[in-house]
Amino acid sequence: MIVVNERTRLEWRDGMTAQDVLDAMGYRFSLITVTINGEFVPKDDYDEHRIPDGADVRAIHLHHGG
Amino acid sequence: MADKIKITIDGKEISVQKGSYLLDAVKKTGVTVPTLCHHKDLTPTGTCRLCLCEVEVRGRRKLVTSCNYPVREEIEVYTNSEPVVNHRKILAEMYLGRWPNVPAIKYVAEMCGITESRFTSNLTDENPQACILCGRCVRACREFALEKIIDFAGRGIKRHLTMPFGEVDPHCIGCTACAFVCPTGAIEIVDDLNHPLDPQMIRDHGMKVNAEMAVLDKDQCRMREVGTANIVDVMDAYDLLPVHNYQFGTHPETWRINSKMLKARYFTQGQADGCWKGCSMACAKTIDDFELKTGPYRGQKVCVDGPEYETAAGAANMGCFDADFLAEFNFYCDTYGIDTISAATTIAFVMESFEAGAITTEHTGGLELHFGATNETLELLHQMADGRGFGVDVGQGIRWLKQKWVKEYGADPDFLHDIGMESKGLETSEYVCKESLAQQAGYGMAIKGPQHDEAWLIFMDMVNNQIPTFEDKAEALHYFPLWRTWFGLMGLCKLCWNDVVPADNYATDEPHKIPEHVDNYFKFFEGMTGIELDESKMLDQSARVYNLQRVMCRMLGYGAREDDHMPYRAMGPVTVKEYESRAERYDKQLKEIIGVDPDGKITEERVGILRRYREDQYEKVMDAVYIRRGWTRNGVPKIERLRELGIDLPELVVIVEKDQE
Repeated sequence: MIVVNERTRLEWRDGMTAQDVLDAMGYRFSLITVTINGEFVPKDDYDEHRIPDGADVRAIHLHHGG
Repeated sequence: MADKIKITIDGKEISVQKGSYLLDAVKKTGVTVPTLCHHKDLTPTGTCRLCLCEVEVRGRRKLVTSCNYPVREEIEVYTNSEPVVNHRKILAEMYLGRWPNVPAIKYVAEMCGITESRFTSNLTDENPQACILCGRCVRACREFALEKIIDFAGRGIKRHLTMPFGEVDPHCIGCTACAFVCPTGAIEIVDDLNHPLDPQMIRDHGMKVNAEMAVLDKDQCRMREVGTANIVDVMDAYDLLPVHNYQFGTHPETWRINSKMLKARYFTQGQADGCWKGCSMACAKTIDDFELKTGPYRGQKVCVDGPEYETAAGAANMGCFDADFLAEFNFYCDTYGIDTISAATTIAFVMESFEAGAITTEHTGGLELHFGATNETLELLHQMADGRGFGVDVGQGIRWLKQKWVKEYGADPDFLHDIGMESKGLETSEYVCKESLAQQAGYGMAIKGPQHDEAWLIFMDMVNNQIPTFEDKAEALHYFPLWRTWFGLMGLCKLCWNDVVPADNYATDEPHKIPEHVDNYFKFFEGMTGIELDESKMLDQSARVYNLQRVMCRMLGYGAREDDHMPYRAMGPVTVKEYESRAERYDKQLKEIIGVDPDGKITEERVGILRRYREDQYEKVMDAVYIRRGWTRNGVPKIERLRELGIDLPELVVIVEKDQE
């Protein structure tokens, strides 16, 4: 199990990447900063960066609208 | 997304993004190669050829300029092979022969092992600030300022920089991007405009934004490409686009009015044509030669200034997913001097009331104002401008309509109050905020009414969960309205604060505030006035004005707790249909957040339970915000807060005196 933005629980699976988490959450915004257990993940690495079980994933959308 | 290639540089293996430039990969390995024409924020051109590297592709070796060589396959790279060193030496000697005293030339020549040149000639220019024809200024003019004021003329030894016809081009807006990127100081800036105290400080910080627009915008918000219309796509994807008077947040036909459609079929101008010439963001878009189908200019081809996000989202709110309609609605609102947001939100309210039977064709003068009725909506708009028919009423806005319909048509006041998206008499702007308590308060507690220019907290609150407690929300509803009020007072645009973001913003302590851009604005202020600012000083400056505005609001009869409420449509599902459209979400909240099992309860009961909970939450967030702002429980500035800010003037105190606790 992983937790996204300290709220949403997602079932963990072997080989799960940062991009998989964003897809599962429906996060498609261009200004997202992703950290996994406090460590920043560059956008170019989303497809490859593996998420460990129990990870604290933050996908911070920066202000935009308004 | 990630499409990595492994390459070898001087025997060292490195993984790089496919299509990225070789020079960037070389830098990653810690190797420095000399460059002259390269600038990190400009498109590389390989003009100076000093960054040459030798590349082996499928067994064949060749020399390439690394700055503009895209890595597309596995290669071996040699940055210091014999051919590379020899080429660079000759080049360096030639540069030094022509411009022997330019520091940038001397520096790179030395890197190549050259301190003397054999190539002195009558072309030799002893000026230490000579133009070295690197072309950075030409690219900066195009890429930072979106202009073509300066360019090369002549060939070979006659090549030189010039403005058109060798004259000073009056189209130059003096942005100074050319001088900013010039490596020799050949372009001199003469500051004689508004006499800022420190023009260099203003330029240096402004130029950072220009560079971000040139480099980052295309992968961030695409403001240059489509302007704020990009938000239509984002809001639809996150269930935040107002559809059918804010009932829903997404629609299968949004593609008909989204940024892709507008770019492909409508926008004709993509240059700095916006609110001021010279803005490197240039987000204002235009449709040329649009043929109108209705109204006084029917049949004429006109130029439409827009559409931007709010106007397009307003069309969604009215259920009018038709870009021709959108352009015509945009044009006529502008031409008549009608605010597109207020018009769309009011008409969306009229449409829902019509569909619910609160009003009929008897009241609308025969107009069948269903959602999506594009022709009828345009007719209504013309009536509003002409002062005839049903348009006379609709032009008064939602608050006025509610009162009339209850009094004269016997409409249900509770229903109209729930769905009429206004507060303090102002129509709400175009965002669905049901799932963001902070944004509900951002709208409801905004001094002028529910516009989005004080606080836009939907992502921070609903998606990021960054402000979970009432105190967190109150802090955000203290900081952001003051920050936004402050830069508004300074005449600074919101968009280059957070519609483009520095590449390393993620590493800051408070990424949601975009600290580097806040600092840019402080430096603009300091460069102009000489007064150094920090967050605390800025907040104090702004709070003086903000609290004055609130006192004036109170004086006008709008600045108390009862005025800071929002209609329930802003807070949750008003109708059964609305609840059932997102039943999974709401049922989950009943169970997990409120602790009520929805099973066995009919939808009306569920709507009621959710409503009581959300309305209670709203009261609590108002309490927290008033405390943080130094206001009474009734939402009026405390006299001691006015004193603290130095604005406890007798004429203000007398207004708030009766509200003190």
